[in-house]
Amino acid sequence: MRARFPLFRLALHRRRRMLAFLAAGMVLFEVLMVAVVRAVPPEQLFSGAGHGVPDTFRAFSGSTGDVSIASYAGLLGAGLVHPFWIAMQLTAIGSLAAAAVAADVEAGTVELLMVRPVSRTRLLAERAGAVVAASFLLNAAATLTLTAGVALSPALHRAVPLDGVLAAGLQGCAFTLCLTGPALAVSAAARRRAPVVGATIALGAVGFAANFVAMAWHPAAPLRYLSPFHYYTPGDALAHGTLGWGQSAVLAAVGVAGVCAALPLLRRRDLAP
Amino acid sequence: MGGTGGDGDGPAIELAALSKYYGRKAGIEHLDLTVQRGEVFGFLGPNGAGKTTTIRCLVGLLRPSAGRIRLLGLDPVADHRRLAPRLGYLPGELRLYPELTGAQTLRLLGDLQGAPTRRRGELCERLGLTAADLARPVREYSRGMKQKLGLVQALQHDPELVVLDEPTEGLDPLVQEVFFHLLDEASRAGRTVLLSSHVLPEVQRSCGRVALVRAGRLVSVRAVSALREERARRVRLVLADGLGARDLGRAQRWSPQWHGNEVRLLVPPDELVAGVGELLAGLPVADLSVEEAGLDEAFLDLYRQDAGAVEVRS
Repeated sequence: MRARFPLFRLALHRRRRMLAFLAAGMVLFEVLMVAVVRAVPPEQLFSGAGHGVPDTFRAFSGSTGDVSIASYAGLLGAGLVHPFWIAMQLTAIGSLAAAAVAADVEAGTVELLMVRPVSRTRLLAERAGAVVAASFLLNAAATLTLTAGVALSPALHRAVPLDGVLAAGLQGCAFTLCLTGPALAVSAAARRRAPVVGATIALGAVGFAANFVAMAWHPAAPLRYLSPFHYYTPGDALAHGTLGWGQSAVLAAVGVAGVCAALPLLRRRDLAP
Repeated sequence: MGGTGGDGDGPAIELAALSKYYGRKAGIEHLDLTVQRGEVFGFLGPNGAGKTTTIRCLVGLLRPSAGRIRLLGLDPVADHRRLAPRLGYLPGELRLYPELTGAQTLRLLGDLQGAPTRRRGELCERLGLTAADLARPVREYSRGMKQKLGLVQALQHDPELVVLDEPTEGLDPLVQEVFFHLLDEASRAGRTVLLSSHVLPEVQRSCGRVALVRAGRLVSVRAVSALREERARRVRLVLADGLGARDLGRAQRWSPQWHGNEVRLLVPPDELVAGVGELLAGLPVADLSVEEAGLDEAFLDLYRQDAGAVEVRS
């Protein structure tokens, strides 16, 4: 009997150890965040600042609204926009998006795959599915860990609704989709994996920096609309228990646009090392 | 490029004015070639001649810059999904996923092929890939083992058209013998085989006709039997005067190679008697021998000819 979706399975199979490590790392990190938040009340954590926490710090709590980092939702949100969380997501997306096309072209394995009755659309669809599945795994790991942490801590549970944790997880999926689309477009056009990994990291890192600068320096405020972190607001979702549909739609739309751009790029290119 | 109907009795491979450019550099230019169904056809040329580029265009991995390709009456790009199930392909530089075992590799490629892989077991057995070999990761395979796996994946679904790029690379003589038997069987079963190589004896042994490419252009298409008949004669002369290399006049066109007082020439059979007579008359010859040149020398002789004139004989 033939296996279904062999290209999807192959991509995940080849990176199964990396994904297992990243998922375990994500769980450990969120456990650590919950433990820190439970150990020290947020208002005490930032009391040394004297006259409150600057607004700019909202960038670190995953909020564009009214959620301060000196709150349970803000601190848990910080665990979902922390550089460690971002690095793990970028590692998964960069690696699997590079594997979608560019890595097979670079390694020469694309020759054996694409002389078979496999359309380029199918190659892209199965490989995009693998990136989305990997991102979903990491977001699920973080969301389930936070859910358990919030459910087990009465103080946290009073401040953060479980619906909010789920909403933050869904926003995480939209955020990773937003990075996945452009990364796949680069992979569809590239001959080597390095540009894909580089573009993914640049998108994440520059996006985070742009959002922070936009919040800290008023003349640069319009820059925030160019950053995915402006639309990814887990702190707000955790505080209010609702999903920001508009923001999530923007993130998802960028991701879908990237995949749509990848298809013609892949269709008209040569597939040989 | 629109799709095509795909007929049942046209040529297996048809290239018309095929060109492929990489930027301003030409990979192949104006290649015209027809391979009939059931032929075992050789595609010869030195490294960098354009063999692999042509083959990658044939199997749809590269898009031609100009010209037309038909395989089994189908366009390799536009009709890829209809053509690919009928095609078997062994790349020149076989790259496999190193962490997959041999069995996983064959299963993956079989799943993607979408056709029954009824010959897999038989091919593994004949090529000496044991169950223990297939259970090992490909990264532990030698060059020859990988090549065997490559041959199995190309032939396991019993394709109508097989394209093999340097198929005997890394194979030991015993396995090469098995490979040639497989080619004979494919030929007898009416399969079409395009065999690209720079190893002349394997082409001589297995192919009915050969195309020769040089610098991206077709030099000649000939029957191997005709090549044998037309094979040049190797003439060796030892001169008595001790003066060494010199101009040989009209005989310069036979590519003289000097070693001290000895000169070797490749003389076409129809010019042999007159040519040697002239040389004997004009030179102080101390010793003379004439023998049939090998097929490789016949090809070298072809290479030395003007590349502009494409010869097509059958």
